[in-house]
Amino acid sequence: MISSQPTGIQTDAPAAGPLVEPSTTPYLERPHGPVGRSERRIDGVEKVTGAALYGADLFFNRADLFATIVRSEIPHGHLLSVDSTAALKIDGVLAVYTAKNMPPGATNRQGLIHRDHPVLVEDKILYRGDAIALVVARTERASREGRRAVKAEYEKLPVVGDMDDALAEDAPRLHPNGNIMGGKRIRKGDVDAALAASDVVVSETFQTQTVDHAFLDIEAGIAYWRDGLLTIHASGQWAHEERRLVALALGLPIESVRIITPATGGAFGGREDLGLQVYLGLAALKHPGKTIAMRYSREESMRARHKRHALRIHYTVGAKSDGTLTAAKITVYSDEGAYASTGPAVLRKAASHSTGPYRVPNVYVDVYGVYTNNNPTGAMRGFGACQMAIAYEGMMERLAERLGMDRIELRRRNLIRSGDAVTTGQIIPLATGVECMDAALRQFRSKPMPPAPSAPHMKRGWSLSVICFGLGYGDGFPDASRATVRFTPAGRLEVATGGVEYGQGLLNMAGQIAAEELGVPMSLVDVVWADTGRTQESGSSSATRQTYFTGNAVKIAASELREQVLDIASKLLHVHPHELDMRDARVVGRFDASLVKPLDEVLQAGRERGHSLEATGIFKPRTVCEDYETGQSPRSFITYLFASHLAQVLVDTETGEVRIERYIACHDVGKAINPQSVAGQMIGGATQGIGMALMEEVVNVDGVMRNPNFTDYILPSFRDIPIIETVILENDDPGGPFGARGVGEPPLIAATPAVLAAIANAIGVQPHTTPCTPQRVWELLHPEEAAVPHEARFGLAPEHARMGR
Amino acid sequence: MFHQPRDRAEALDLRARWAGDATVLNGGTDLLVALNRDAIQLRHVLDLSRVAGFSDINRENGHWVFSGGATLAKIARIPVAALARAAMSTGGPAIRNRGTIAGNLGTASPAGDGCVALLANDAFVELTHATRGVRSIPIADYFTGFRKTALLADELITSVRVPADWKTAWQKIGKRGSINISLVCGAGGVSPTGAVRLAYGCVAPTVIRAKSAEAIIDRDGWSDGAIEAAAQAAMKDVAPIDDHRASATYRRAMVGVVTRRLLKELRP
Amino acid sequence: MSETQVPQVRVTCTVNGAAVDRDADLDRTLLDFLRDDLGLTGTKGSCLEGECGSCTVILDGAAVNSCLVLAAQTQGCKVETIEGLANGDKLHVLQDKFLASGAAQCGYCTPGLIMAAKVLLDADPNPNEQVFFEGMEGNICRCTGYAAICEAIRSAAKEWK
Repeated sequence: MISSQPTGIQTDAPAAGPLVEPSTTPYLERPHGPVGRSERRIDGVEKVTGAALYGADLFFNRADLFATIVRSEIPHGHLLSVDSTAALKIDGVLAVYTAKNMPPGATNRQGLIHRDHPVLVEDKILYRGDAIALVVARTERASREGRRAVKAEYEKLPVVGDMDDALAEDAPRLHPNGNIMGGKRIRKGDVDAALAASDVVVSETFQTQTVDHAFLDIEAGIAYWRDGLLTIHASGQWAHEERRLVALALGLPIESVRIITPATGGAFGGREDLGLQVYLGLAALKHPGKTIAMRYSREESMRARHKRHALRIHYTVGAKSDGTLTAAKITVYSDEGAYASTGPAVLRKAASHSTGPYRVPNVYVDVYGVYTNNNPTGAMRGFGACQMAIAYEGMMERLAERLGMDRIELRRRNLIRSGDAVTTGQIIPLATGVECMDAALRQFRSKPMPPAPSAPHMKRGWSLSVICFGLGYGDGFPDASRATVRFTPAGRLEVATGGVEYGQGLLNMAGQIAAEELGVPMSLVDVVWADTGRTQESGSSSATRQTYFTGNAVKIAASELREQVLDIASKLLHVHPHELDMRDARVVGRFDASLVKPLDEVLQAGRERGHSLEATGIFKPRTVCEDYETGQSPRSFITYLFASHLAQVLVDTETGEVRIERYIACHDVGKAINPQSVAGQMIGGATQGIGMALMEEVVNVDGVMRNPNFTDYILPSFRDIPIIETVILENDDPGGPFGARGVGEPPLIAATPAVLAAIANAIGVQPHTTPCTPQRVWELLHPEEAAVPHEARFGLAPEHARMGR
Repeated sequence: MFHQPRDRAEALDLRARWAGDATVLNGGTDLLVALNRDAIQLRHVLDLSRVAGFSDINRENGHWVFSGGATLAKIARIPVAALARAAMSTGGPAIRNRGTIAGNLGTASPAGDGCVALLANDAFVELTHATRGVRSIPIADYFTGFRKTALLADELITSVRVPADWKTAWQKIGKRGSINISLVCGAGGVSPTGAVRLAYGCVAPTVIRAKSAEAIIDRDGWSDGAIEAAAQAAMKDVAPIDDHRASATYRRAMVGVVTRRLLKELRP
Repeated sequence: MSETQVPQVRVTCTVNGAAVDRDADLDRTLLDFLRDDLGLTGTKGSCLEGECGSCTVILDGAAVNSCLVLAAQTQGCKVETIEGLANGDKLHVLQDKFLASGAAQCGYCTPGLIMAAKVLLDADPNPNEQVFFEGMEGNICRCTGYAAICEAIRSAAKEWK
């Protein structure tokens, strides 16, 4: 259910006064076309008919050769030798490549921020997913047999299985600078003095888990090297960055690499790091003219791919007796796994979101990344802000309990209002956390609570979360989107964007904005996307940035093209272009309804007069890097999103099983370009957050993943998720396309804390470790039986491992 | 080689002839998982999925007789509460349409829901050889070790015989509402003469009965005190381990919870 | 010496009404047979262990995980996949409702899910909640959170023939 409650800029006509001349009427932006409508998906028909071609669907009748990757059997050690003799004897196996076979000029390195990750191991193995060899064969079967037959010799090193291992005095050094990847700090006010002066101080240690993206479309693709061009068809989240990274890794000039993104089945941050692209490319270079195919199994996908950071969060909060927050002191240790991936950015986002949407005048934060021999940890929907929301919302619940205060009123007292500052000191001109919370509560109260459960061991509870989230890369990181729109000779509107569609609705967002701006129906719109040979760089589909960045780029491009078209039409209709509009595939008078020209005619006239009928838009706003010492910035993120989720749960206190009975998600998205798509993101993201709250967990023991499969990596199913009620608020963002901000990550971020708080309300004990599996909930009620005692495990890191000041 | 016998006699002959050289396949819900993981190779298969009548379920002499190929989907409709509910709580419809009772028994996983339900119902597993004939093994003797059974390599599980007149109950604890690998599951059965069976999955190398708990009910009846004592005894009868799914402590505690719930449901 | 000599089995079945009669590797799953031998790539592989339902097809009227069936086992069987659902340009009611409700986001679970829903509604065009869950619980979606899918299936049920 969607209810849209637009608030914000008023659009009433002036009540009285002198008649205003039409030509000076303010330019009101009120979408009359597809923007704001739930248009059917542009790529919908092919998806419901099975015609959409995902990576593995490209093999049929195209693949000449098949490649597979041999991965390390050990989590930590040196690769001494690779013996491919037996593999090469297998009928159909053509070659086995190792690091020694990388082309001249190849760096053999990948990584989104640091190029620290070898494509093929040269010496050091840092996790049990490092690639040590690439097998190429005539058939897929032979490639798998070849993989089994490759023999590697290792010198094992002691495994750094978790952060405590990594921080120990005698820990093996995983990287040249040791096991601390780096960190981020916030220094605002005087936290120690503020805590000392507080009426109440509450501390807790939270532990969040390693999470897998578990997108259904397992990594797969094809590649070929022909006529000096390496073309790779494989799904990612950032085609142009994949192109740069592949070129660098293989030693190719960038113009010799083309990335074409096939239909993509989900990503959630899991395709931000390279997957199999470089391996496909290497095999293609070695077998010129042949089309190479490669796909992972589910196990390989889980073992190889980066994961969400598990965070250990030590959180101390101070408040006055009336509930006003005074200070927050936070130390975070983040399991970075084997390589940096996007870890440095995740740390920064965790720090900048560590006090969430609350007014806290004194804040000290230290976030440390700690290397281990687990999977590299990198981007996943929420990106550090997700784990911190578990902590700050958990602290609000604890503080309310300690003060004997209503947890809603405690939030209301401390939520920032428009004009307040967030953790980084950035002033938020439009903060709608309170509005989101109240809208979620209104929705909740619109239905009666069910009667109390009759069985005494069944306990019902409910609570909510309020979160905020800065969209875009932020922090001064280069962030831009480019789009091109054109009217084709056939009169169709073609939008070209480098952005990747993986289900979130990017194609419709871009297409609807362009169609709105140019007054054409969606039936005339085509979107070309994520092909470095045909589209311009639009940045990644991540960081909840595409609606704002690519939406703006498309709108800019479309408005440029619109001006071109109206300039053309001016001659045909004999009025100034500003007196014309584009609607319903026609050029019409804005004030004189008798002025009408079919768009086709205008376009034809334009072609005859040598107009390009094409325009490009670039959206490249400035953000300001957070200060190194203080973590403060006047504008770390281009804009902020607010949301509130409410969960009602039923807990079986004998078994610890939790059922979500009712769930409400409220998001202020600025403007829902496609409300159905926005609601879909809200519900899908909330479901992933519920999964994180209750059941999803990658279990690593001594560097070995115990559950690289869907039997034991538990995803939410139909039975686990009630029909989630969605409330969309639209408070116009002055900088967004048609006032839109975005939606992608906040639904996940808001969900986990809401579920945890609801559990606490049901059982009277606050959770501190995710996921709250039945065992963990049972252990909250029987703390003496806990497998891992809470207090004993979660001390601060040893002195030598902490960063100074 | 791929054998696809059309009748029981042919299936038994092939099994006797090839024994362990040919992998027995029917629903494939265990075997093909292993194949897809590259854990096994299939080069010689005895496919039982087309043996006439092999998925039939009949009522005979106060027993339900499930042919070995009876699918979980069919079993779910039979009025033996624990067995039907165990069948329904396994996977989704696609798994239930293929998974068979013989497959469950052949795999003999300590987590096998169907095996637990059968164990609480004094079922008989009928193992047949082409010439030696049928051996009817009481279910309590069928599981001999971790994933080991009384089935010989040249025999097939041709049917399972379950008393139809027992009162049975089922409990399952999982991390999710559907498609669970159980954390702990349990089944209880009471015979018409009042004999009690309590069986559990995921708390020992095989599915297991809590015999001292059963003895307490046999001896002391169904009072709240006896049920509590039985729950405590059951917790000692099992041998759960710590693994990536759950801790031994939790599993043991859940055996107590499951036992109480089963006994309260079965209480006359 | 190689292990790649795999016995061949003659597979004779119908797929979406069309006769199929060809050799396949003995250990070829129905999923790979459909996709790699017949080029019907609409059915998807994801978990490859019967946990996600992306590979769901209809085999003699029953929903099955095609990753857990050998092609060799389908002798004389009737196989229905997503490709057989639409009637030329006319979408099946389930496909149309999926579009109307926004029930496909990334679309990867969609073919298997639609086939499972077809079996569900063919057996019971007015399923109560219990029957609905029993029919659909074998299918995982990672993107949508299920609400739009439930709406699409219920909407299709109203027009079921």
